Amino acid sequence: MNPVLQVKNLKKIYKVDTVETPALQGVSLEVHQGEFIALAGPSGSGKSTLLHLMGGLDKPTSGEVWLGGKRIDGLSRAQLSDLRLWNVGFVFQAYNLIPVLTALENAAFVLELRGEPREVRESKALGALETLGMKDFAHRRPNQLSGGQQQRVAVARALAARPKIILADEPTANLDSKTGLALIEHMRTLNREHGVTFVFSTHDPRLLERVDRIVRLEDGQIAA
Amino acid sequence: MFNLFSLSWRNIWRHRGRSLMTAGAVGLAVYFTLVYLSFLGAMENGIYNNLTASVGHLQVRVEGYREKREFRDLLIPNAAQVEARLATQTQASRVVALEIPALVAGETRSRGVLLIGDQRPSELRERFVKQSLVEGRLPETGDLESIALGVSLARALKVGLGDPVYVYAPGTEGRGAGAYRLVGLLRFPDPATEAQSAYLALAAAQELAAPGSATRIELHFPFTRYSQDNQLDTLQPQLAASLGPGLSLESWRQASPAIAQIFNLLTPLVLIFAAIFFGLAGLLVVNTIYLGLLERTRELGVIVALGAGPAQVTRMVVLESLLLCSSGTLVGGVLGLATIAALSGGFSLEALYGEVGGVFGLPEKVYLSLGAWDIPITLGFTLITGLLAAWWPARVAARLEPVEAMRFTA
Repeated sequence: MNPVLQVKNLKKIYKVDTVETPALQGVSLEVHQGEFIALAGPSGSGKSTLLHLMGGLDKPTSGEVWLGGKRIDGLSRAQLSDLRLWNVGFVFQAYNLIPVLTALENAAFVLELRGEPREVRESKALGALETLGMKDFAHRRPNQLSGGQQQRVAVARALAARPKIILADEPTANLDSKTGLALIEHMRTLNREHGVTFVFSTHDPRLLERVDRIVRLEDGQIAA
Repeated sequence: MFNLFSLSWRNIWRHRGRSLMTAGAVGLAVYFTLVYLSFLGAMENGIYNNLTASVGHLQVRVEGYREKREFRDLLIPNAAQVEARLATQTQASRVVALEIPALVAGETRSRGVLLIGDQRPSELRERFVKQSLVEGRLPETGDLESIALGVSLARALKVGLGDPVYVYAPGTEGRGAGAYRLVGLLRFPDPATEAQSAYLALAAAQELAAPGSATRIELHFPFTRYSQDNQLDTLQPQLAASLGPGLSLESWRQASPAIAQIFNLLTPLVLIFAAIFFGLAGLLVVNTIYLGLLERTRELGVIVALGAGPAQVTRMVVLESLLLCSSGTLVGGVLGLATIAALSGGFSLEALYGEVGGVFGLPEKVYLSLGAWDIPITLGFTLITGLLAAWWPARVAARLEPVEAMRFTA
């Protein structure tokens, strides 16, 4: 079966003035439909950089990124926006909900960007919130929600758009361990029951027990 | 459920105080522009009505009259026939006037004047009486024995109502001299005009200096607004074609080129002021929008990361700017229209410009009213301000790299 996502010999070097800092040094990885993968490793190992490159948020210095059978590392800014809009869901460490929108509106945000009709947006967003146990909080603003609830809304935002893959950058880092585990359980359920493909980064060892596959990164390379 | 419109609307009210101040500045610009445009329109209409009431919208004159020096060369022969021909062509009111350089004398003193004999329809006569007559009456149509003088001229001649006044018009084609009874005193804003003004009935003036003739025939159209003046562009050539040889038809603009020039300057002047108002307000809008974006850089990074393209981000920023400007426009517009409505009944500016205003034909009372283009012009300024103010912040926002933006800390 063709992978949903594939990176080949991916390198990323950050340049500040004349100083070069290698973040990734030839990473190759395949992600298949329905996988639940954790990128593990210490801070600075390249987990976030790899997620950004996989999601088309950034461009590699060299190497290839394939998403859904299409090579994306050479796409323009507008093409990458379009690709992210229709194919990738993101969950960020700091929730990053839009404070002036309610939970329901945040969950429907990507659908709004896609220009989907109001009824469709509302129905999909409500469905996603319900899946994550947040339906009763649909009309609350982010500042009226706890950290765990906000992150569940962020997952609902990614889920409602039904992307090919959801990339989550340390989604539990700002949550206490109990809430973090609960969130991972939610994600795991979505993966098992709805076949949603997840790749997330973490350095929390307790979360790693719940994943299909662990990809360990060290100094920008996949550890053996 | 939200859309990009409502998101932009909520975004601009995140910092209520800052947005209120900015919207207020736009509102003030809209308010001043509307009131200023309506004031300008009212002044234009007032000056236009005063001027055309005194010289007519169109005037029949002898061709090349400005270069002619002899009284007889200025005469329109058979004035009644010319007037009758015009009457078949237009419904405009007509004033037939004969201007005679003459010497006017009381019992002990005399002065050189421009004696005017005229015949005007009742509505224009009433207006003249209301504006200029301070005592007595005007000579009636066909009255061969009465004269009205400027107050200062009468004072200079040491004559009062009921006294005899003697007029000498040597070198003319009529009797050349006559004795009249002073029946009315006139006041004019310009002291020089008042010191030289003497009025007879047309028949009396023709008997004195030029039987059957006139020096000008004015056509007065029922225009009350300056904006109607462009109808003269069509009427003037049509009517001019019906005149006989040796006669010309000129507009008030041609008769009073200096005032026409002032009219040409008024609109550009007000537009320059409006541009300054909106330019200053626009700077505040740029500041508010840009600060708002700077504070929301991380959030914008997330929006871009989620798939918003440069066009959508640009649209959001432009919408925010336009909504901010529209809020101000709504408030400023309502207040401006209320002010205009309140002052549409007229208010006096005499205290401001005193008697000098009359010299320049300024109206005694100003009636604020909006012209057809005043609201579109104001809205156009608002739209341009909103778009220009959004241009730079939108450009910055559309170029945000999502990863860098999400790392941004203000």
